[in-house]
Amino acid sequence: MDTSKKMVPLLRIAKFTFIDEVRQRSFVALFVACVMGVLLIRGCYHGNYQVNGQTVDVETIVRTVSKATFHMIAFGVMVIAALLSMRIFRRDRAEGTLSSVLSKPIERWQYVMGKIIGVWGLSALFMIILHSLVFLLTAISLKIFMPEVLVGSLLCSINLLFVVIALLLFSLLMPDIVAFLCITAVGISGFIADGIAAASKSQFVQAMVQQSAGQPQAEVTWWKIVYVLWPKLLGVQQVASSLMEGEVSHGLAAVYPLVNVLLYCLILGALLFKRFATEDIT
Amino acid sequence: MHVGNLLPAVGAFSHDQKRASVMIELKNVTKRYELLTAVDDVSFTVKQGECFALLGPNGAGKTTIVKMLLDFTRPSSGSLSVSGIPSTRAECRHSIGYLAENHRIPPSLTGWHYLLRCAELLDMKRSDAADHCRRIVELIGMQGREHTTVATYSKGMVQRFGLGAALLGDPKLLILDEPTSGLDPIGIREIRLLLETLKGQGMTVFLNSHLLSEVEKICDTAAIVNRGRLLVKDTISAIVTDGETLEDLFVRLVKG
Repeated sequence: MDTSKKMVPLLRIAKFTFIDEVRQRSFVALFVACVMGVLLIRGCYHGNYQVNGQTVDVETIVRTVSKATFHMIAFGVMVIAALLSMRIFRRDRAEGTLSSVLSKPIERWQYVMGKIIGVWGLSALFMIILHSLVFLLTAISLKIFMPEVLVGSLLCSINLLFVVIALLLFSLLMPDIVAFLCITAVGISGFIADGIAAASKSQFVQAMVQQSAGQPQAEVTWWKIVYVLWPKLLGVQQVASSLMEGEVSHGLAAVYPLVNVLLYCLILGALLFKRFATEDIT
Repeated sequence: MHVGNLLPAVGAFSHDQKRASVMIELKNVTKRYELLTAVDDVSFTVKQGECFALLGPNGAGKTTIVKMLLDFTRPSSGSLSVSGIPSTRAECRHSIGYLAENHRIPPSLTGWHYLLRCAELLDMKRSDAADHCRRIVELIGMQGREHTTVATYSKGMVQRFGLGAALLGDPKLLILDEPTSGLDPIGIREIRLLLETLKGQGMTVFLNSHLLSEVEKICDTAAIVNRGRLLVKDTISAIVTDGETLEDLFVRLVKG
């Protein structure tokens, strides 16, 4: 009973945050542009593609294009979630919402949690709508059903949670734009590192390394530790997209990116609540 | 602004009861910001039903005291309580209505939606909230303007909606930080009349103001702070001696 009572103001703050963001003209314009972009991709599904002189079948084309679109949407919405989150506290201060809400019997953790849920919910819905478009396009025009896109979309929303929490925390510690650039740098460097790691596992690169170094290096170095502990945003996306090809990997490799990002969410969330609890409200 | 019988019922306690109990209590409150001591060992009480003014020049520590009462900032030492509940606990704000200096409202909202939001945050049901907001709109004299966006409002109108939001939920304590800021003389008079009516209904008013003439007309008690220190706190009739105005006393204490 007590818990449900505490949830009411929290959900109201989430609702107000959601509505305020949707009302922004820039948000509506962005949404329309993204929908148009996804609809334009439908042209890629038609046409003849040849690889090594062999014609590629329609289903392979659809799955490949859908997978690429899936990744683009997931990455793009992460950037949008970052843009939405970075100005939340600043705008609430400037518009008097912060002092207005916290002068009511609402605790600070409820306010922060409401903000997280509001922005996360909105960006996750944004992403699910775009992914649903991909699902509908393939289902209606090509009669290929890929419900895995939607399941993958839900998995990718973990990344959005990470971005929202990290940006809210960083925006309390530094100027908004710097916070945005920091999180973008974390994401991009993770993507690059994962790309290098994936390439280094290819037979071609391994053969090159063996030729130049004589024998493979297997020792643990500091950068390997950093790489393993770095936020695995691309890892989560890969786990999600692997569902689309039915190539779900089992064991630690499949679970680790999810655990990694969720742990980051917990740690950064705890730091965010701790920091906001001592914040002077103006 | 019509203040007749539109006001929400405030405080169902008898006159004797409200005089007897303490609404606000500050005990040896100090607030330091690195090199600056904004509030220095301040202690005072405000009784229930009292109309109290906190006076002082700019930078005296008035707004810091208000911020500590609302738990917007924590004291370096000492304690504050409202109705006996420590100000650090959220439930103490059940009984507080607050109007900030230069009150701001998100410009994309209408005044009506702003009041509804505030009512919902006070855990009112939507139907009750609408009724309550309707009464408040009448009370602040904003009928006919409540459905236009805040971006089109003057500073005085924003201040009125801020005051309306502070009155939602029938608070026992009203904390007003420069409530007449941005208002024209007629608006200032209307606010004074409203405060007098609220005071008559038993609401405790904590007023932070520079308008000493208005304070003298409305308030029972006053405290003067300067450089974070409490200089005097008593009933206005006790601190203002014969042949002197509150303004004279203020200047004498602050400059002397």
